[in-house]
Amino acid sequence: MKTYPVEIKVNGEWQTAEVTARDTLLDLLRDRFGAFEVKNGCAQGDCGACTVILDHKAVNACLTLALQANGKNVTTLKGVGTPDHPHPLQQSFVEHGAIQCGFCTPGMVVSAKALLDNNPEPTRNEIREGISGNLCRCTGYNKIVEAIEDASLKREE
Amino acid sequence: MTTTEYIKPGDLSDLHYIMEEYKGRATVIAGGTNLIPEMRNGEKAPELLIDISDMAALSFIRENNGSIAIGAATTIAEMAASPILLDNSPILASAAKQLGNPLTRNRATLGGNLANASPCADTAPPLLALDASVEILSPGGKTRQVPLSKFFHGYKFTDLGKGEILTAITFPKPNDSTKGSHTKIGLRNAASICVASIAVALDMDGKTCRKARVAAGSVAPIPVRAYRVEKLLEGKEINAALLDECMTVVKAEISPISDIRGSLEYRTYVTAMILKRNIKRALKQEI
Amino acid sequence: MLDKLKEKPTTRPDYRIIGKPVARHDAWGKVFADTKYANDYTLPGMLYAKVLRSQYAAAKVLSIDTREAVKLAGVEAVMTARDVPHNETVTRFGQTHKVGGFEGLYRVLAEKKIRFRGEAIALVAAKSLVIAERALGLIKVEYEPLEGVFDPVEAMKPGAYRVGEDESNVICSYKVRKGDIAEGFDLADVIVENTYRVPMVDHAYLEPESGVAWLDDDGVITIRAATQVIEHFRGIADVLGLPHNKVRVIAPMVGGGFGGKEDITVETYIALLAWKTGKPVSLTYTREESIIAHSKRHPYVMKYKTGATKDGKLVAMEAELISDAGGYVFLSPWVLLYSTVKATGPYDITHVRVDSHAVLTNNTFSSANRGFGAPQPCFAYESQLDEIAKQLNLSPLEIRKKNYLHTGDSLATGRVLEHSVETEQTAEKAMEALGAPSPPGSPREKIGQGMASSMMSYGRMTFLHDTSRSYVSLELDGSVTVKCGVQDIGGGQASSLAQITAEVLGVPLEDVTVYIGDSALTPLAGTTTATRQLYMSGNATYKAAMAVRDNLFSKAADILDTASENLDIKDRKIFIRPDKTSDPDRVLALDDVVKACAADGVQLYNVAQFNAPARELIDFQTGQGQVFADFTFGTHAMEVAVDVDTGKVNVLKIIACYDVGQAINPLSAEGQIEGGALYGLGYGMVEEVILDKGNTLTPSLAEYLIPTSVDAPDVKTIMVESGGGVGPFGAKGLGEPSCVSAAAAFANAVADAIGARIYDLPVTAEKIIRALGKI
Repeated sequence: MKTYPVEIKVNGEWQTAEVTARDTLLDLLRDRFGAFEVKNGCAQGDCGACTVILDHKAVNACLTLALQANGKNVTTLKGVGTPDHPHPLQQSFVEHGAIQCGFCTPGMVVSAKALLDNNPEPTRNEIREGISGNLCRCTGYNKIVEAIEDASLKREE
Repeated sequence: MTTTEYIKPGDLSDLHYIMEEYKGRATVIAGGTNLIPEMRNGEKAPELLIDISDMAALSFIRENNGSIAIGAATTIAEMAASPILLDNSPILASAAKQLGNPLTRNRATLGGNLANASPCADTAPPLLALDASVEILSPGGKTRQVPLSKFFHGYKFTDLGKGEILTAITFPKPNDSTKGSHTKIGLRNAASICVASIAVALDMDGKTCRKARVAAGSVAPIPVRAYRVEKLLEGKEINAALLDECMTVVKAEISPISDIRGSLEYRTYVTAMILKRNIKRALKQEI
Repeated sequence: MLDKLKEKPTTRPDYRIIGKPVARHDAWGKVFADTKYANDYTLPGMLYAKVLRSQYAAAKVLSIDTREAVKLAGVEAVMTARDVPHNETVTRFGQTHKVGGFEGLYRVLAEKKIRFRGEAIALVAAKSLVIAERALGLIKVEYEPLEGVFDPVEAMKPGAYRVGEDESNVICSYKVRKGDIAEGFDLADVIVENTYRVPMVDHAYLEPESGVAWLDDDGVITIRAATQVIEHFRGIADVLGLPHNKVRVIAPMVGGGFGGKEDITVETYIALLAWKTGKPVSLTYTREESIIAHSKRHPYVMKYKTGATKDGKLVAMEAELISDAGGYVFLSPWVLLYSTVKATGPYDITHVRVDSHAVLTNNTFSSANRGFGAPQPCFAYESQLDEIAKQLNLSPLEIRKKNYLHTGDSLATGRVLEHSVETEQTAEKAMEALGAPSPPGSPREKIGQGMASSMMSYGRMTFLHDTSRSYVSLELDGSVTVKCGVQDIGGGQASSLAQITAEVLGVPLEDVTVYIGDSALTPLAGTTTATRQLYMSGNATYKAAMAVRDNLFSKAADILDTASENLDIKDRKIFIRPDKTSDPDRVLALDDVVKACAADGVQLYNVAQFNAPARELIDFQTGQGQVFADFTFGTHAMEVAVDVDTGKVNVLKIIACYDVGQAINPLSAEGQIEGGALYGLGYGMVEEVILDKGNTLTPSLAEYLIPTSVDAPDVKTIMVESGGGVGPFGAKGLGEPSCVSAAAAFANAVADAIGARIYDLPVTAEKIIRALGKI
């Protein structure tokens, strides 16, 4: 199978791989780059568990070819913040009880980051709208919305 | 056959050269929101993918000389947020905002939504109501314009020939007397496939309808114009009796099917209902 | 009525960590992406597995030809039924006791008859997923299609197509008999009678079924899989013909369970392939596989007839429940028993007659799903209550208040409710919070309000003689280790054990480390199902921690020259309670007492077992007896706006009020209640696995729809804390109870809005338009 080189800046570090024309960004991130924080919940763009930020926009990694990310910036949950430098969203997700099983969390936090980057003070409705591509089966979304709202207020401080 | 090759053309002349070279064996990919799952499920296996997702020449929303043009690779999110569209064609912005979800809207493109030729293509009914045309780049570098109403030939089947590519959508800037309204019926409030939709654009001369454009989605093998409804409205004063007549006529004009999202009966009923509602809403009447 | 049981505790103990909204200890790993789920685990040389599944719902397998697949480069194993040492095992329902009556056939790979579409026929392990997929395409299966039966009512009829090898498709039938039903209806001034239907639904956890198996260096087959039940190691060992102690199951953090990871999913397949190849094997279902081929919530057809006197007292309820079990038995008998016991809801009804049947069909098999048989009848009885209320001109709250069970009352099964029953309080609070109806947003909009109450057990059936074990140990530096074989499926199962231990041993929460979910290394704690872990393992952990504390106190009492019972422990300090000493400065550091204990050989660990109250099997002719240890009671109230032209519904308000006994962690408890409300709302509003002759027409999350963030408003949670549960600190279980009545409340709110009732879930826009007679 013919392969092509790709070079992608994942969470600030350039990474390279040889990929096929069919490989998705999800395949590349999980199987080749070991970015297991990018979850595979459906591989069809219906659940949002694989959300990453591709050059400032939140997208489904499963609906993006690896080659389409060539030369671009990709941010996953690990790029949002770390235990040493947590993002306000990470802090507030934990404190508000917005995490249950945690499987939607990586995509949800990444979507929320993209939302706040573009709209630092969203209303609750805008928050709900902004995460409507990310399914969560555990929380009923309440605490996720609260956590995002709280993080937006904290960022303002 | 499996997909083995990928090319990312640098500009339109590259694109046109490649399309000619590989005609028939290649598929254009932009957002990939339809194509990638279809490739994974084995429904499609184009030999070559031509990636236009980053082609700046195909990504624009422009207004000039009384016409609005949208590049085929413009994302649905860009359309939903476009001041040009929000000001001039809110029915199109409304449809864009209700397509898929925020993540898919960041990838999905207008060209893809139309070229996929699904009856439930969310942007098609408002574009039909706006008298839009598609711009097609043909092998040899020629460009041809096709009215959107002639673009869809059948279920998942368009006017695009081998080696042709949809490059832009244009429509005349609606005049100030044109009033529009759009409704999509879905089974939930986000990420829902259209059950039925209606877009209307009415050019009004006082209470009289000078020109009417009415289009419907998910109620025929392709997105359709309701020509008989349009004819019925044009030149008439819009009143309750005329609205009732429109409802009767539209029911005869559409040909929905029953599927997991709704029955033929519901689609027929609700299409007529949202037709009436959208005409009233366009005219700022209480629904 | 037993009046003494109605006394409530007047003062609440002053807890330090219990009842505090603390951050769950597992949340940090999840938010920083350090948590490794089943599919995030890889091993050197790992193979990738795929499952070949039947294209028919009913067929005879004539031949399977795997030769081409075996020859494909990179394929390491292809297995069919004949390669499985014990392809058929029989599940006897129960943990340690033979409980008679029901046995479920577990067939690893199909042979003889195909019983549902998507049934596994062959397994492949290959060096890559691509190769494994290609190999599946090379396996040739010759089928003889059979007619099949797809409707449980049809399947019950004599002469119906036989799904399995047995004479009848009926798996089991139960009865409840209280009083004389004919006499009951004679007493009734109004009678309502209707048939209700509920659809098949999917768990739709975000994490598909997944696991990795390998042969460990000691030759033990080790399986790390997303499961609610590590104790399936026994069943897996039986399939392989190995001693039980040669199979080990590890459950990492699970990405949602809801009952869907209660039955075996990938475990047996990967165990077989690892055993055959000697190499690690991983398998993750696609979303399509998860929806088509794994368990579902049972669809039910329910005939209900209810009679009341003119002042609103329920005097008779007659119900017939028919559940569609699909192609195999799995947990259908137990799910049906739950439904049968709960068929009349949290109401005191003079004369009751319930008949229920679980029936095999060629549909996707049904088994456990959050609520385990409670949400189905709840939709029916709560619809009936509203229908009666309407006829009697009573409000939904009034009719219910006249009939709610209270502490000391008996269920129709004769079982006395000796623990707290606060349904009425939850209903009053929910309706008060709901408030006056909002004004409609347009003339075409109708506002409706609805409520529904329910009862749902927590803990397994008492005749299963359930147990849980937990180990608590104080380390020499005063930090604490808990080992307990719970599976954490997202409900905070592990975190609550840390809180309980921290409370008892007076240490900060971060000083407690919890090891969970390893059938070889953590004391077996039973399944994370039946809303039982807080109750069972919470009690076991409490007991173990108390035993450790007793030892500590006994040593500290020596040092302080006081009696153990005068001591308390807090912030890693042991001290004499202020009312027991004149010298409150005499404080011992926990570490010092630990060291003193260690020096003297005082045991600083304990393994405790908690035994649920055990009862005999109920009388299956009358349903009389005790099935459950206790129940959680609660009420949902909702307000909706219905567009009467399109049928579209907007949910404006959701109130969920539950007696939680004692919230161990209010954040987690609220999270369960909010999540439960939306899980139940989805059942009422939008969810349905649609099948056509056994073929799933909704095999993706674009077709099988669950609520998104914009489909419901914030859930307002109200927690009543009666302290009257049988869990630790008086807690009741919440996981399943929190979802049970939401669909019924939604349906009742819609009925209130449109003045017409819909008898089958989900209540869609189209059904509303039909109910309004517009199509």
